[in-house]
Amino acid sequence: MGNNMLRRSLLHLAPGVAGLAMLPAPSALADRKRLTFSWPSNAGPLHPHLYSPNQMYAHSMLYEPLVRYGEGGQILPALATAWAIEADGRAWRFTLRRDVRFADGTPFDAAAVVANVDAMLGNRARHAWLELVNQIEGAEALDPGTVRLRLAKPYYPTLLELSLPRPLRFASPAALRPDGSLAAPIGTGPWVLAETSRGQHDLFRRNEGYWGEQPALREVLVRVLGDSNARALALETGEIDLIYGTDQVDADTFRRFTADARFTTAISPPIGTRLLALNSARFPTDDLAVRQAIAQAVDRAALVRHILLDTEPAAETLFAETFPYVGLGLRAPAFDGAAAAARLDAAGWRRPAGGRVRMRDGQELALDMCFTGTDALQKAISEAVQGDLSRIGIAVRLVGEDASTYVGRQRSGDFGMIFGDTWGAPYDPHAFMSSMRAPSHADFQAQRGLPMKAEIDRRIGAVLISTEEAQRAAEYRWLLTTLHEQAVYFPVSFLTNKVVHRPALGRVPFGDTRNDIPFAQIGRG
Amino acid sequence: MTVLGFALRRLATLLPLLLLVSFGFFAMLRLGRGDPALDYLRLAQIPPTDAALALARQELGLDRTILLQFASWLGGAVQGDLGISWFTHRPVTEEIAHYLPATLQLAGTAMLVTILVGVPLGIWAAMNRDRWPDHLTRVMTFLGVSVPNFWLGFLLVLLFAVTLGWLPAIGRDGLSSILLPALATAAMSASVMLRLVRASVLGVLGEAHLRFARARGLPARTLLGRHIVLNAMVPPLTAIGLHLGELMGGAMVVETVFGWPGLGRYALQAIGNRDYPVLQGFVVVMTAVFVLCNLLVDLIYAWLDPRIRLERAA
Repeated sequence: MGNNMLRRSLLHLAPGVAGLAMLPAPSALADRKRLTFSWPSNAGPLHPHLYSPNQMYAHSMLYEPLVRYGEGGQILPALATAWAIEADGRAWRFTLRRDVRFADGTPFDAAAVVANVDAMLGNRARHAWLELVNQIEGAEALDPGTVRLRLAKPYYPTLLELSLPRPLRFASPAALRPDGSLAAPIGTGPWVLAETSRGQHDLFRRNEGYWGEQPALREVLVRVLGDSNARALALETGEIDLIYGTDQVDADTFRRFTADARFTTAISPPIGTRLLALNSARFPTDDLAVRQAIAQAVDRAALVRHILLDTEPAAETLFAETFPYVGLGLRAPAFDGAAAAARLDAAGWRRPAGGRVRMRDGQELALDMCFTGTDALQKAISEAVQGDLSRIGIAVRLVGEDASTYVGRQRSGDFGMIFGDTWGAPYDPHAFMSSMRAPSHADFQAQRGLPMKAEIDRRIGAVLISTEEAQRAAEYRWLLTTLHEQAVYFPVSFLTNKVVHRPALGRVPFGDTRNDIPFAQIGRG
Repeated sequence: MTVLGFALRRLATLLPLLLLVSFGFFAMLRLGRGDPALDYLRLAQIPPTDAALALARQELGLDRTILLQFASWLGGAVQGDLGISWFTHRPVTEEIAHYLPATLQLAGTAMLVTILVGVPLGIWAAMNRDRWPDHLTRVMTFLGVSVPNFWLGFLLVLLFAVTLGWLPAIGRDGLSSILLPALATAAMSASVMLRLVRASVLGVLGEAHLRFARARGLPARTLLGRHIVLNAMVPPLTAIGLHLGELMGGAMVVETVFGWPGLGRYALQAIGNRDYPVLQGFVVVMTAVFVLCNLLVDLIYAWLDPRIRLERAA
């Protein structure tokens, strides 16, 4: 009787199951004009002058800068078509592009620029991390098509920092409230935010009144998806069309897609540097010989080949040579365990009889390597470094902790070696180096023990206000060469953006900066 | 009246329980390692300079004692204000109210799957003890309790979404999108339920009243429905309260795997972000949901089984 009941229940379920089987397979690619992408969180309220939870990729879709960052640090026109610096270096004049309107129809003119700069300066403390904001005294409209930006001191990276995704971008003055808040996210960019569904998706629609070349796509739907495995599966089922970013999928999954003929994959040129900072103010990495030995004893090529699976090129310098002022021809010492061991011997670090760890003056050659415990990549690299260094008699204690404690260690200098990334274009090298002067940064802490730290900080300050190109290049040469010789960083690899999609999507170019996803150019040509 | 009194007594214990849980969790968050001000700045993407840290400590009230901080939080909480998320900058109460229905929908569907799978198969296994249906369900339950739900989720997606293309892999768009996450969430509970029902039915099969019923010549259908199943359902019903907690907890991971916009994924993000106000609010709300669900089950239990009602009345 029980079997009969079960049979009847299954018979009732059968039409439902058959109905499910007939559901159309979800595919955004069927509608070629809509691209479906994924991101771990919603785009946020998209105030152009504010930070979290606003997502930078979305800022760049809606809002435009006066000038934009091009390949190799070249400054290109955007909302300004021409610019000139005044003789004393303390003011810039920008000629604004004509016939540009915000998505709500409000004209983009000098008054709109001034309104945005004023709103941003009204919250100046919030932007104190950005040196340009500290230098800006104000903006004034000389005529509807010309705006003048006044600075307290000459500041060479002005144009670079004007190209950042935030905070110097422009919302419609009609949407800016007097208290600086925003009634609606309306910019001049190629996209408008059409719809937000919290926890589910954001829908961007083409700005039909856009002044530049229209995007080929009509809509970009960004689904909220945090898990990288789920993202990879969603690409396979056609529920998303594109994977784009530094860590949207892990190296193993990227390699799997590369081997799959149904997908097109690509790796961008370097967009930043993945590195280890060595603490020069703390035993035993306060000894230059130890830092230099570490630089020789860690097999960088093996890290890149076996852990990063060649999805990032090996890095020998703090910045990739494609960035401005850093093409100096510096090279990391070749991997050579025997030479590293000899260097330690010469510095008085000896293995005791029967011991594995070197000692000097009764102290073990041991250090803490700190990483975020939940970061599988950092953990794998840490373990490989630990193995390499143990071969030359350096003991590495692995300290994997939560992100908060990890950041606390970066701030306080409580580490022997710690992970870090440079910030990428357009922050590298100037803004990243500027931050080396702040005690709250791991770089300051790592460099604190260098005998020439005061000189490094002084020269970083000088380079930022230098108006002479040759002098600036010379200062960068001294700074980067000194840091390289002092072996205070162990560059692991250059970060890259990884792209995966189906060939039907067409060409997917790379953005010029780390946070710029060029949706407007996808599918063109 | 007795049942109402019982319910009111249980509800009265909820308040001190919530107070205890809130304070315990509040203290754990603040006495643990790490610096809440640093977490706040990290989430707001503000470089953690000394000045910014001092300002954040002042803004968040971290310069006061833990008791004062808790009193301040409690003052808001009793008015329904659980604070502002450090990441999204929205009120936590509003966010939880937004995400909770999706999780309840998923946990509710998973509970339905648990019952629809666990009860009939449990009865089937018991009625066919030591024969192939019993062995088959034993293997099924072994797998069900052993396989982690997120891994099962990926396997289900591989089969039904990637290979067969029948169901969506992610999102919350209608009935078809809930089936896979509900199955992944329910696998363990359904397995436990199956074994519990089997054991319970076997227990009833050995009881004297069943022998008398058989001796009275009652038809097999009546025996199964009225005398075996109904009597065997009381212990599994009690377990439903426990399953609810398990299903809500299981949903946390499953929601992330399936991009399900529920409270579990929201809380998991908050754990990763160390978004203290969200974590605090989540724990309080989940405690209340858990206690209320158990209370509801107890009431149904008492309503179903007159013996228990009489014991309580006595």
